[in-house]
Amino acid sequence: MSDQPAKRPEVGPTQCVGPDYRTESQKPVATVSTEIEYDNVITLPQTPQLIALLTMIRDRNTDRADFIFYSNRIIRLLVEEGLNHLPIVEQTVTTPVGRTYAGLQFQGKICGVSIMRAGESMEQGLRDCCRSVRIGKILIQRDEETSMPKLFYDKLPEDIADRWVLLLDPMFATGGSAIMAVDVLKSRGVPEERILFLNLIASPQGIKKFATQFPKLRVVTAFVDRMSQGLDEKNYIIPGLGDFG
Amino acid sequence: MNSGMGLSPIIPDHRDGDDTIAKRAHYSPPWADVSIIGVAGSSGSGKTTLSHAIVNSLNLPWVVIMSMDSFYKPLNPESSKKAFRNEYDFDAPEAIDFDELVNCLRDLKAGKRTQIPNYSFEKHARLENSTVIYSPHVLILEGIFALHDPRVLDLMDMRMLIPAFQEGIIRDVRDRGRDVEGCIKQWFAFVKPNFENYVQPQKNVADIIVPRGVENRVAMSMVTQYIERRLLEKSTRHRAALKSLERGYDSEPLSDRVLVLPQTTQLRGMNTIIQDIDTSSEDFVFYFDRLSCLLLELALNNAQFKEHAIETPQGHNYHGLVGKGEVSAVIVLRGGATFEAGLRRIIPDCRTGRVLIQSDVRTGEPELHYLKLPKNINEHDTVLLLDAQMSSGGSALMAVQVLVDHGVPQNRIVFVTYSAGRVGVHRLTKVFPEVTIVVGSMVPDFEERWVEKRYFRC
Repeated sequence: MSDQPAKRPEVGPTQCVGPDYRTESQKPVATVSTEIEYDNVITLPQTPQLIALLTMIRDRNTDRADFIFYSNRIIRLLVEEGLNHLPIVEQTVTTPVGRTYAGLQFQGKICGVSIMRAGESMEQGLRDCCRSVRIGKILIQRDEETSMPKLFYDKLPEDIADRWVLLLDPMFATGGSAIMAVDVLKSRGVPEERILFLNLIASPQGIKKFATQFPKLRVVTAFVDRMSQGLDEKNYIIPGLGDFG
Repeated sequence: MNSGMGLSPIIPDHRDGDDTIAKRAHYSPPWADVSIIGVAGSSGSGKTTLSHAIVNSLNLPWVVIMSMDSFYKPLNPESSKKAFRNEYDFDAPEAIDFDELVNCLRDLKAGKRTQIPNYSFEKHARLENSTVIYSPHVLILEGIFALHDPRVLDLMDMRMLIPAFQEGIIRDVRDRGRDVEGCIKQWFAFVKPNFENYVQPQKNVADIIVPRGVENRVAMSMVTQYIERRLLEKSTRHRAALKSLERGYDSEPLSDRVLVLPQTTQLRGMNTIIQDIDTSSEDFVFYFDRLSCLLLELALNNAQFKEHAIETPQGHNYHGLVGKGEVSAVIVLRGGATFEAGLRRIIPDCRTGRVLIQSDVRTGEPELHYLKLPKNINEHDTVLLLDAQMSSGGSALMAVQVLVDHGVPQNRIVFVTYSAGRVGVHRLTKVFPEVTIVVGSMVPDFEERWVEKRYFRC
């Protein structure tokens, strides 16, 4: 698909998406997530359904109700994927028809921590998957003068050091505030390897910073965008989806 | 037909042309090859009463009475005027649209859905709306000329004639909205001569002649016994056919259209809770709903998408996708209803049809009891067919057949189930190779249905 006029910088690789039993020509072509070489990053499978959901939330013409509904669907998938990384023990149970099922049980307590304000939009999706989960908050704002992120407020579960933390922020661009949030968690005794950072859209730069600074922390994302410098010298995620909050 | 659980290699049923799809097996639902019973007799001889008596004594849900009155030809303006003057001959074979009748009967015989016209005696015209008939096992065709057309006779399993010669005037006035004088006029002009010319000769082609109609106990019990025997034969054949579709299930790989949810630790963790007999019902419902969302998300990947370029709020372009057309769902009751909560989380306004298929307690044969589908389901882009469990695949086969009979192409059907056995999946893909099957987890074959009992707590 190269028939689109290149009005703006290249937005990412394109590829046919669809189930394996369909031939290439039966599958539509779409922009997919940029490949990332770090193995602490888990990108959701680029299924046509996921791409359609992302298309919905990126579209400037999508109304608010739809935006919330469709982003929640992606967030649930992110949470489901993130939870796969919790520790487990084997557990065999007996089913209602008397068969035994060699299953497993999750170990360890979890909690969510949302980076305010946008991260709070992911709380519903987390609650849909984990009832009565504890959710802490961290407020980080960009200092208008220094344009550096600054910690304004945090409220975290007291026993957070014993928990696995699902850190929530939908947009992971330069990673400035996320790095600060991770530092806050680490200062409360949460080891890096027990933090799972969930976001909808990430940038290669943010991921690279995390991979070098927090090599044991895992990032779960739906899509990796490209990064581009705008006319105002600020960095933007391309194509992005605007201000999530 | 009677091969058992086989290790024998699969022998392709048809080898049409090139290759690959040659392995498609055939499935004939129990309503194909419907038994048709003709009941003829003159006006007022008691055909309708006899037909209803047969239905009552059979006491089966799949018996339909079709009146030949539905097949009166629509009248042209001239004939219509005649009809209102009671000068049109309704009791001659020419008044009946036999071509239409034969088409309907052939469709039903082939197991297809058919539309029966509605004829109004008040207006002497066919009404706009027609009646849909689908999946009867026995059809009773009653009418003065039920045994008149040789094409119709060929389709019949049993031909009955009531030789009584009584008046149908009172009935015509009461039930058909005609006036008394008109009926008398009709009587002498048409009914009597027609009886001698057309009704009487049908005696020669009737299998049994039933004097005194419904009061004839011996004839009645002969008829019902005959039908019951026919139905039993068909049921035996149907079950044997289902059995024969098992062949090769343990030696052949699953089709690439069978998608099993990736067995991640999270999924296995949820399954552990769902399958544990000691799980509280509250937890069961919560985790089942969560898992059904994942299943449905996977199922939706098999819908059709088209390319869709959009602009983000910052004015960047994104080459995305959008669903092509409508995605609807059909719930196989009762099990499929466990997916409804999950379905509403993903497609809140999903058009949802229902089909009730139950297995006979004694024979295990699946039976279609109720059907309500979205009106233009054949135009939908994807139809999700939902059932909690699939073991032998009998009801799944039947449900897919119902959709196919209603014009849904196979490759638009995505069957979604929480658990399935290999035999069931194998059967379904043998008969309908283009149907996609989305499974939560593969389990041992022939597992009793327990998910719906846990979910609905009864």
